[in-house]
Amino acid sequence: MQFELNENNALLKTSIREFLEKETPLAKSRPMMEETQEGFSKELYAELGDLGYLGLTLSESEGGGAAGVIGLAVVLEEMGRVAFPGPFLDLVLAEETLCRVKDQQASQFLQETVSGQKNVLLARSEALDDLERSSLQTRFDQDMIRGTKLPVSYGASADVLLVTTAEGLALVPRPEEGWKATSLPVLDHAQRFVEISLDSPGRLLTDKQRADTILKEVDQLGALGASALMLGLMEGSLELTLDYLKERKAFGRTIGSFQVLQHRAADMWIRMESSRSAVYRAAWALENSLEEASLLVASAKAYCGDSARFVCGETIQLFGGVGYTWEYDPHIYYKRVKTLEQLYGSTRNQLEAALQSQGI
Amino acid sequence: MDFQFSEEQQQFRMELRAWLKENLERPWIEELRDPKNDEKKLFDIRRSWQAKLHESGYLGIHWPKEWGGRGLTVVENAIFAAEAIHAPPIASRVGINLLGPALIHHATEEQRKRFIPKMLSGEEVWCQGFSEPDAGSDLAALRTRAEPDGDDFRLEGQKVWTTFAPWSDWIFVLARTDPDDRYGGITFFLVSLHQEGIEVRPIRQITGESEFGEVFFSGALAKREHMVGALGEGWKIAMTVLAYERGSMSLAHLARFDHYLKDLVEGVRENGSLQRADVREKIARLLVEKEVLRANGYRTLATLASGQAPGPEASLEKIFWSEYSRRLADGALDLLGLQAHLLVHSPHARPHMDWAQEALYSRAVTIYAGSSEIQRNIISKRILKLPSS
Repeated sequence: MQFELNENNALLKTSIREFLEKETPLAKSRPMMEETQEGFSKELYAELGDLGYLGLTLSESEGGGAAGVIGLAVVLEEMGRVAFPGPFLDLVLAEETLCRVKDQQASQFLQETVSGQKNVLLARSEALDDLERSSLQTRFDQDMIRGTKLPVSYGASADVLLVTTAEGLALVPRPEEGWKATSLPVLDHAQRFVEISLDSPGRLLTDKQRADTILKEVDQLGALGASALMLGLMEGSLELTLDYLKERKAFGRTIGSFQVLQHRAADMWIRMESSRSAVYRAAWALENSLEEASLLVASAKAYCGDSARFVCGETIQLFGGVGYTWEYDPHIYYKRVKTLEQLYGSTRNQLEAALQSQGI
Repeated sequence: MDFQFSEEQQQFRMELRAWLKENLERPWIEELRDPKNDEKKLFDIRRSWQAKLHESGYLGIHWPKEWGGRGLTVVENAIFAAEAIHAPPIASRVGINLLGPALIHHATEEQRKRFIPKMLSGEEVWCQGFSEPDAGSDLAALRTRAEPDGDDFRLEGQKVWTTFAPWSDWIFVLARTDPDDRYGGITFFLVSLHQEGIEVRPIRQITGESEFGEVFFSGALAKREHMVGALGEGWKIAMTVLAYERGSMSLAHLARFDHYLKDLVEGVRENGSLQRADVREKIARLLVEKEVLRANGYRTLATLASGQAPGPEASLEKIFWSEYSRRLADGALDLLGLQAHLLVHSPHARPHMDWAQEALYSRAVTIYAGSSEIQRNIISKRILKLPSS
């Protein structure tokens, strides 16, 4: 029994925190979210590539950092804490898909993603709800991919798409024509969703069966990653709240001295710390490929979703009126969390997955 | 990061399982259901079970060997608690779990020699004299006085919510030795209940049982040789006791909750509602929260196993398991309906689970060992550093 991070991961935590606090405090990252078309800084992502953070989970022979699932959770937690903008987790998931496919072109794109030169992203969903569908409408036929994917997170900035089709997983480098990306403005103004209509040349990488196996593994990592992000978002949001409670005065005293607010802050902390236990236990189980990983990952994602919604919502409430202004930061956290509840396996689908993992 | 038991710990668990199979004649729920067993008889069963455990070295598992313990860690102790959920609770639970650590940390060699062996064997059963009618959550407001009488002290006052008081032989008491010093005026005494000047009255609880009672002191003797720590150190010692009361018990609760949730799932399978979406969502959340609770429990255990004393984080664990136990029992009463209201000896009652008792008892757990409100005070002051009013 040990809860502490090992030396490597502790070091990883210190370095990524230092980097993020210097490069992307919200004062610097909000202009990226709010004033750029991409929603993030490509230069910063290239720097993440140089520093080895892209490709974090890949093996050393693939040019990665071999940081494992726990290492990934550490980095994503820190990114959540500062509400780091852009498709970091999506790139990791695309890499994890590429490295499971034995294919020369896939390997080449993998290298270019790891170094930050290219953005490869998965395009899977074909609907805006989270209902399960028996078949995909997107088709692969005679070296052409035809169909519509939505939403694709940060899809407008993709250089290559990994597209799921009824026939299997296809690789679609961005062509000059035949790739129509329509922006879908959404609740989280830092997010960039697009709808992509494809009528483009591409290659089938694997058949449907193999694709399903690969993506099932990738989905576990996605759910775990989203949970770690939400843990970090709770931390960042609670830090904002505590600073405010300690400085804001009303009725002649600091509002943090009111017991009613203290207990609400305590509840936020309880949710956050319990999420931490759940995230790292799930990360540990996934890293060691334990049988209980599917229950633990589903549990972590569902619990972090409920908790982050609560914590980041409370932050807005405890800030009062200014918490509802564009200028203050609580909405950045709240909005990110709302999206993460839905993506990477929605809360209700994770609840069902938890039951099924136990034969219920 | 490591959330599993070592090979030696697994081995300990397997041996214990085999031992329990051999030695536990009847599950505790059967004893409770047996009309021949009144409260006195039930307590005797607990006492003889404790003696059996003691003989085989399954008490004080994480205590040093020199004090009759097994010399293992809190992890093995937690494994024991989890494996033994169908066994009778031991008679001197309060003594072993709460007073034991206080004696090991704060008592003299002679006091340990005098009290620990008989506590382990069950020969002497202990109860806790902390709360008073006007000192519950605000424990430092306690007013029971210890007046000097020669070398010794005489106690005047009243304790309440004293678990097992009607069956106990000894009580550990927080008493005021200085009326003007709120925290520094409290001293920790070990006091015999079998003497003049003590009256014990049972209190009937909402379950109908009288597991706890009141203890009245009018001139009862508290010997100086039975004072733990120095004069005025009682508060410090009490904090050790409370930290142990709050921490490290998650695994035992979890083993119960695993069993309870299994019964709930079986119940909704039997009544045909398992495929209803509302039922599934409710059960899924209970399942998920139980795993979060387990993660919190392993985390606390890891901290304790590394040799650190339970800190304010123990409040997180206490709040989580106690509030979960209410959600679980409420969930069962919702989803199983009146079947879950049936008392254990009623026809049609669920054979392996006493939901009615559990639902009522879950209202106590968020009050005892520091109420949920006190735990939130501890978190907001000591961890979040929010200012005092």
